[in-house]
This record gives sequence, C-alpha cells and structure tokens, in this order.
Amino acid sequence: MRIAEVIGTVTLSRCHPSIAGYRWIIGVPYSLKALKDDSVPDGEDIVILDESGAGIGQKIGVSEGVEAMMPFQPERKPIDAYNACILDAVQVK
Amino acid sequence: MQLATIVGQATATVKHASMAGWKLLIAQPLTVDGKPDGEPQLVIDNLGAGLDDRVIICNDGAGTRKLMNSKNSPVRWFVMGICDRSEAKNAHR
Repeated sequence: MRIAEVIGTVTLSRCHPSIAGYRWIIGVPYSLKALKDDSVPDGEDIVILDESGAGIGQKIGVSEGVEAMMPFQPERKPIDAYNACILDAVQVK
Repeated sequence: MQLATIVGQATATVKHASMAGWKLLIAQPLTVDGKPDGEPQLVIDNLGAGLDDRVIICNDGAGTRKLMNSKNSPVRWFVMGICDRSEAKNAHR
C-alpha cells in the first residue's frame, strides 16, 4: 500500500457497469526522498477508486493489485487501485 | 517476502473497517545490498517493529486477510519478522 497525495478527481462518462457510480481521484505516489523532505510527490500518477471522500492535497494509502478489489468481495470489479485509508499524520525519520 | 527498513509510521482515522486497531508503519523495501528498492509501503504490524528496525515484509494478500481475520481487507503488506542479523554472500554491506 503506497502513500499518495490526491491532486484531482476524474469523472467517467462511459465505463464498465460494475464500476459505475463511484468517485475517482488522481493520486501521485511518494518516493522515500519526497516523504523525508516533505516535498512534492514524484511518482507516476494513478487513478484511484475512492469511497471515503479524500480531498485534494490529502495523503492517502493506496491499495494496489488484486487487494484493491477485495473490499467488494464476492463481487468482482476491474480496478487495481483503491483508497484504503486517509492518512492523518505521517512521520518519517 | 522482502527485506525492509521501518522508516516511519502513519495514523489514519478514516480507513477500511478491517484496518481498525492495526498499527500502520512505513517500510522501505531494500535490495540485497541495502539500497532502497521502489517506493515506501504502508505495512500493518503486530510484532512491535520500531523505527530503523530491519524487518521482513510479506505481500501475500491471502495471508494478510487471515492475519486480520477479514475476508475483504485491502491491506497487502504486513511485517512478518524482525531481523536480528542478515548477511548476503556477495553483498558489500
């Protein structure tokens, strides 16, 4: 589960019926260096399915891979990034 | 499973229900010669790993779900062991 910063949202006009009606946010993952000196995240941005209402600028934990679909068990959804948690505090040495 | 160093911790109030009560640490996966390997990962921990501990983190989602006693948890990485000492044959460390 990588740490990402929310930079925007996405609205879908047409999509697979099983993923219609969800909120999509764009997150940019943090590298260790960016986390350490608290600078702008420098990873590659990904679109994340969000059910907790993360706001722009918040740090979130992004669950990726098949685990992104697990919260919807036994339903199967074609997603690979899910907002598992909105981080209140991140302390990095 | 991969060698990693605990570089920090994170707290989250808004999160997937299955994550309630679990400690969230930030682990930086390492290559065999101790260099950072990819982005830092949020891992759950119940072994009490502390800052700068060398740990083994595991990304077996099924194992994580069994550990968390939840069928639909989006968490994937967890701390599986805390290393006392680790050596690699031709690693110059």
